[in-house]
This record gives sequence, C-alpha cells and structure tokens, in this order.
Amino acid sequence: MENASLIGLSAQIALGRELDVVANNVANLNTNGFKAYSSLFEEYLSPVARANNFIGPDRRVSYVQDRATMLDLSQGPLQRTGNPLDVAIDGDAFFAVQTPQGERYTRNGVFQIDATGQLVTSDGYVVLGDAGPIVFQADDHDISINAQGTVSVLSGQNTLDAARGKLRLMSFAQPQRLQSDGSNTFTAPADVQATPASEKVRVVQGAIEKSNVRGVVEMTRLIEVSRAYTTMASLLQSESDLRKSAIQSLSEVPT
Amino acid sequence: MRALYTAASGMAAQETAVQVISNNIANLRTTGYKKQRAEFEDLLYEHVRRVGTQTTDQGNVLPVGVDIGTGVKTVATPRMMGPGSPSQTGNPLDLMIRGDGFFKIQMPDGTFAYTRDGSFNLDGQGRLVTNSGNLVQPGITFPANASQISVNQNGQVSVVLPGQTNPTIVGQLDVTRFINPVGLQPVGDNLYVETPASGAAQDGVPNTNGAGNILQGNLEAANVDAVTEISDLISAQRAYEMNSKVVSASDQMLQAVSNLSR
Repeated sequence: MENASLIGLSAQIALGRELDVVANNVANLNTNGFKAYSSLFEEYLSPVARANNFIGPDRRVSYVQDRATMLDLSQGPLQRTGNPLDVAIDGDAFFAVQTPQGERYTRNGVFQIDATGQLVTSDGYVVLGDAGPIVFQADDHDISINAQGTVSVLSGQNTLDAARGKLRLMSFAQPQRLQSDGSNTFTAPADVQATPASEKVRVVQGAIEKSNVRGVVEMTRLIEVSRAYTTMASLLQSESDLRKSAIQSLSEVPT
Repeated sequence: MRALYTAASGMAAQETAVQVISNNIANLRTTGYKKQRAEFEDLLYEHVRRVGTQTTDQGNVLPVGVDIGTGVKTVATPRMMGPGSPSQTGNPLDLMIRGDGFFKIQMPDGTFAYTRDGSFNLDGQGRLVTNSGNLVQPGITFPANASQISVNQNGQVSVVLPGQTNPTIVGQLDVTRFINPVGLQPVGDNLYVETPASGAAQDGVPNTNGAGNILQGNLEAANVDAVTEISDLISAQRAYEMNSKVVSASDQMLQAVSNLSR
C-alpha cells in the first residue's frame, strides 16, 4: 500500500534534481563557452515478490531514477566583440589550459595577457600552445590569430608578422565523458584520450562563443518540472487521504 | 532545494552585468573611457554519479554521470582596450594616442597614474596639466609669450616665440605602455594605476617600439558601442527574469511539499 507514496517520492527526488539542472543552465545563460546539461531518467523495476498466478497478475512496481546528466555539446552562438584576444572555436574541439590541478579543457576563449606576457584565461590559467605557453614580448602589438589558431604579432617596428605559437586545440572520441570542473573548464577522465583536433576545426578571432543554453527550452522544462512535481504532490495527498479513510473505516469496531 | 540558490546566483550575476552595462552607457561620452564587460563562469559541480565509474566486474563503465552544477559566478570585468574613434576639437592641447599606450600623470602625492584622456590645459605657471590640475609627465612648461603650440606624431612639443619664425622645442611627451593594460586598476577621473598584473610601466617615445603616435587637436571618444550595450542589456534583463522564474518554480514546488502535511 505504501508503494504509491514511495513511487511518488522517487519521482519527486528525480524532479528536484532536474530542477537543479535547469536552474544551473538558466544561471549560466550568459556564461561564455558554457554547455547545457539535461537530465536523463530511467525506470527502475522493483524486484519485490509478486504473484503471477492470478488472472490479472500483479505488475512490478516501477520507480523513477535519475541516471545521468547529459552534456549538450552543440555549438553556442558566436558573438562578435572585435577584441583581438577573444577567440571562439567553430567545430568540435577545446582549448587546453594549464591549471594547478593539471591540464583542463575549455570552450571559453576569452583570454588576457598577464604581467609576464603569457596568454592566460580570466582565472589566470596559462593557455597552452602546441609548444607550451604562448608568450608575448613587451613591444608586441597587432595580435592576430588565424583560422588554424596560429598566433602572430607585429613586434616593435617590424612590418613582418612574428609567430608566437599555435593554440592547442584538442578533441575527444567521447566528449560526453568530460566532467565539468567549474570555472568553465572540463576534466578528461584518465581513459578518455585527448587528440589534436581535425583540420576542419576553425578558430575565429574577435568573437566569443556564448552559452548554448536555450532560454525557451529551459523555461518549458521548468514548467514541465514544476507541474509534474505538483501533480506528484497531489497524488501523494490523495494516497494519504485514502490511507486515512481506510484506517478510519477499518478501525470502526462494530458494536 | 538547491535550485533556489542556483537561481539566486544567476540573478546576482545578471545584476552585476546590468551594473557594468549601465556604467558603460553612463560613460558613453567620457573621453578616453574604455568599456568593461562582465564575464561569468560556472560554479562547482556535485558529481552525484561519477562518469567513468565501473558498474560491473566485466568492465562496463558509465558513459555519462550525474553532475549537478551549483550556479554561476562573476570572474572578471576586464576592460576592452580597443581604440575609440577620434573626435576633432581643433584645440591644440587636446591630444589623442593612436595605438597603444597611456599618458603619464603625476598625482598630488607624487605617485604616477596613467590615462587615455588627453584633454590637457595649462596652469597658472604655464605647465601642461590635466583637467583636474595634475601634472603631465615628463613636465612641460610653456613660456608665457609662446604661441602656436604644436605637438607632432612623435610627441615633440614646439611653440613659436615672439619675433621668431622657427618653432622652438619646449618638451617631449612620453607614451607609457604596459604588457597587460587590462590589468591596470581604474581609480576614477579617467586614471589608472599600475598593479602587479599590469606589469611594469615602459615609458617610451610615441610612434616607436609599438607605442602609439600622438594626434593633436583630437580627443579619443569612449569605445562604448551603444547598440552592443543595449543588446547586452536586453539579454541580461531577460536572463534575470528567467532566473526569477526558476526561483518562483522552486517556491511552488516547496509549497507543494509543505501542503502535503496538512
């Protein structure tokens, strides 16, 4: 008899989790390079004893379980900023950055130059090039980054471009297995190999990749979640009423 | 219900964005102003089911896990150091740097500050000062009877003295560069000061070694683009609204829960 309330509970826990996912997506609506998450639910059939010998056999009780949050790795919209140190990736690849915890990957190409001339992220993590960090000299100006990610500058009075390195672009065979690390970075698990990105991946200078969260979709999911949650609550309520009336009528001892 | 706090972090971030945008719009007509931009990052994740966990002894691994994010944070409000467009004034003491670099200003306490605002004036002693009366470095004093002030591309300041036909050089303006100008700290009054992040100041002659050249009779307008700011404002405002919807949805769900125990 309590099955109904337990099933309701499992649904409410799952929906609460989904709301957390939606809330995180909406909170990151304007976060550069953010990738949206979506929840994936699964049915869980309870292995309890049941009777199959009747004409109408008992059905197994099925609960809901949140099994996974899927990373939506689709391309976010590109916004032109004109800033030479804003770089967006058009295609399936990530920038590699060096954090104190090790190498991390990001789609957020908003870079800065630090006091030592290194190309860094807004957090101060060094952006990795094919041959280590990309370092600018004090008299470098007119930074340009081409479609393959090669960084070149005009240095001092020179009129010819001098190369300062090439942005390291990495791809993954199973990008869904990347783990969000906060700060717009992803960690690759040990058995997910990072390989250099294909030639088709293009780098766009002077643009940033916005969050790929779609407001309309998230709002629809929000309505769906809150309605489902309220429905579950009223179901629990009627189940509780049912039990209450059962207890009341059954406990009436005939005199 | 964590969604409530996640959405609150989103609202706080969008509020910061609106604040930055409003400061940009307020400084739409400030000489030498460089626009700022609010940048966000996602907060920590709770890894409820870690991706890659081995689920069976046969070596099946979870292809995707359950990662629940906890919101957003403002990470930086960097300045966009792109050039502003020149606005011609015809005033010989209005200077503009075309390219990289800053004018060096001496503050009353002897420290140095840097600015892109080249609307200079002369004080009672004929010294070149900013609109707030702070000395432009290196100090240039104009003779009382000088006329036809001219500043060339390389920052050389010359005047014509009475009874002479050839100009006399009275000083040389410097342009100071930083390897990371975004790391300068704004102190108001269009001034910035050096920080460990900006790197050391490199004084140099205009038009050499990457430093910009001087354009006389022009001021650098703010590099704020009104259209971009307004579209950013709209997107920030809508994002704020959506976050508030998440707050009310979590509220409704909590209400449904509290109504359970009547």
